[in-house]
Amino acid sequence: MKRILSSVTDGKGFDIGLVVLPLGFLFVMSGLPLVYNVVMSFQEVDMFSLGSFVRPFVGFRNYVDLFSQPETRPILFNTALFVVASIAGQFAIGFGLALFFWTNFPGASWLRGLFLVSWVMPGLVVGAIWNWILSGDFGVLNFLLRETGVIDGNIFWRSDPNYSLWAVIIANIWLGTSFNMILLSVGLSGIPKDLYEAAELDGANALQRFWTITLPMMRSTIGAIIALGLIFTLQQFDLFAGITSGGPNNSSNVTQYWAWDLSFRQYDFAKGATISVIMIVFVMLASVVYVRSTRHEVRG
Amino acid sequence: MSLQIELNGVNKFYGAFHALKDIHLAIEEGTFVALVGPSGCGKSTLLRSLAGLEKISTGEMKIAGALMNNVPPRKRDVAMVFQSYALYPHMTVEENLTYSLRIRGVKKAEARKAAEEVAATTGLSHLMKRYPRELSGGQRQRVAMSRAIIRHPKAFLFDEPLSNLDAALRVHMRKEIRALHDRLNATSVYVTHDQIEAMTMADHVVVMRDGIIEQQGRPLDLYDRPANKFVAGFIGSPAMNFIPAIVAEDGAHIVLDFGKTEAKLAIGSRLSPGTSLTAGIRPEHIKIVAEGQGAFDVPVGIVESTGSATFITSATQPELTIVETGRGGAKSGDIIGLAIDLAQLHLFDTATGRRIEPQSGRVGIEPPRHLHLAGHAN
Repeated sequence: MKRILSSVTDGKGFDIGLVVLPLGFLFVMSGLPLVYNVVMSFQEVDMFSLGSFVRPFVGFRNYVDLFSQPETRPILFNTALFVVASIAGQFAIGFGLALFFWTNFPGASWLRGLFLVSWVMPGLVVGAIWNWILSGDFGVLNFLLRETGVIDGNIFWRSDPNYSLWAVIIANIWLGTSFNMILLSVGLSGIPKDLYEAAELDGANALQRFWTITLPMMRSTIGAIIALGLIFTLQQFDLFAGITSGGPNNSSNVTQYWAWDLSFRQYDFAKGATISVIMIVFVMLASVVYVRSTRHEVRG
Repeated sequence: MSLQIELNGVNKFYGAFHALKDIHLAIEEGTFVALVGPSGCGKSTLLRSLAGLEKISTGEMKIAGALMNNVPPRKRDVAMVFQSYALYPHMTVEENLTYSLRIRGVKKAEARKAAEEVAATTGLSHLMKRYPRELSGGQRQRVAMSRAIIRHPKAFLFDEPLSNLDAALRVHMRKEIRALHDRLNATSVYVTHDQIEAMTMADHVVVMRDGIIEQQGRPLDLYDRPANKFVAGFIGSPAMNFIPAIVAEDGAHIVLDFGKTEAKLAIGSRLSPGTSLTAGIRPEHIKIVAEGQGAFDVPVGIVESTGSATFITSATQPELTIVETGRGGAKSGDIIGLAIDLAQLHLFDTATGRRIEPQSGRVGIEPPRHLHLAGHAN
């Protein structure tokens, strides 16, 4: 006993403790629920069997049932569209802003800090604000588009099935852009200035410097941001709850919202778990990309 | 020989800070010029202005006869070797070398051939597929130089390229850079804070301080006839001894002031009596003789020997450093006589620090030699 105690104060035991504690925490708080979720997707679960762990095993029936439902395909497609459009928008605008602030004009860092406001706002609040902005009758977005002549009549962003998903995408781009910008700014400032000077003397113009120095030097940052963006957009729940609730008629429904809806509104826990398992696969892929791109950072 | 680089009245301001003050410089084609001075003297600013990385505020800058004031760096056709080397970390050695060619749209096979030729001369052939992070400091240095060579630029600019290498490698690369310069018949501007690098490598040394060119000329001219006290103290190692002095009544002697004691020294020329000045004598120009046999006697303070040379510091105020080749017999506490070659005695005005030229070359003082035609002493 004394030896164990002294090893904790000496070093080796302490090192092991440092590893075991967080691992244990992760296992209990994330690992077990994850495993439980996977197990549930292979069981028949209803309100009455919810309390016990031993439930009838049904094999892949939940999966087969899920894919035979008519709304599954549109919802999967919505999810893909939501993820791709959100990441593309967040990344493009974020990179543009990062490059803009990189020129370091007077007040640049102050203004950049201000942009973070959108990142610290709770998703539900952002959703409520965008509800007003996107409102069909008195929304400020419609007003702007009308006054600039882009549209003739009002668009009912949240209730028109053609626009409802885009309403959430617009809000999500607004929410995630500043995070992209900050990470990309950090990546940009990590590129040594003398590389640009060397490239300039080697005859490269601004565009050539961007393609041959900035982009390749940012490869790991960009990989990490895309991976994080994929994880964050697949997690995005608040905006759907705040703006469209997945409607109308599932036109803006995505898997993460649908999983919650199935489990906790329709009490079909097995289906909810099944959708979650499918999402786990995608998130796992994203995290592999993330880990790989942060490990292979280019250093001079 | 034509002028490759010309600076006329170049000034550079950073806000209120005057970084370069009225710089005049004329560099002939094929010359190796060293810009040397303590940190913050403006030598790097001057080099970066030549590259176009800094914009000069006023004055005229020409490279190969063309006015460069508003020409962007990529159109100046000069190559720079950075202190940090600034190799592109995401490119192999070969890609680093061919970068400038690829930017110019040179065909791949052609660029590759050029890279191989340069790499063969700099000993990089076997490293072409490596990334900069897989190279040693000396190899990176070679890549940085090869990247400059491959372009056949109008001028090479070196920004303290050896300061990140260890001492032995530095001495080796010094010779290599100079040999390369000779082989390419290039025009090089080399910034360093190390006067030994400047003295050994350059044809023409420019000593700078506080944004001013203090003196420029051939290395040995600077050593033999420093224009002022700053240059005298900066060039040469160990540094020159400075002793406050006053011209004696007869005008032909100066009285060296060692605080408690004084020493009278003939200067072999005539100066107005009572003038206060600073006498400068290099440690290697003082000879140790028996007590009473030299110009004056001093007590010995510290004796240090490196084996090949002995450094003797006198127990006077100010201290005198004397370098003797071989192993001298002087011991701490001895009284020794010092013989001073008047030809090697330098006199500086105490107030301005400027060199005082003795009237007409009389006893032992050689007449002023003409400095390098490319520059004139300040």
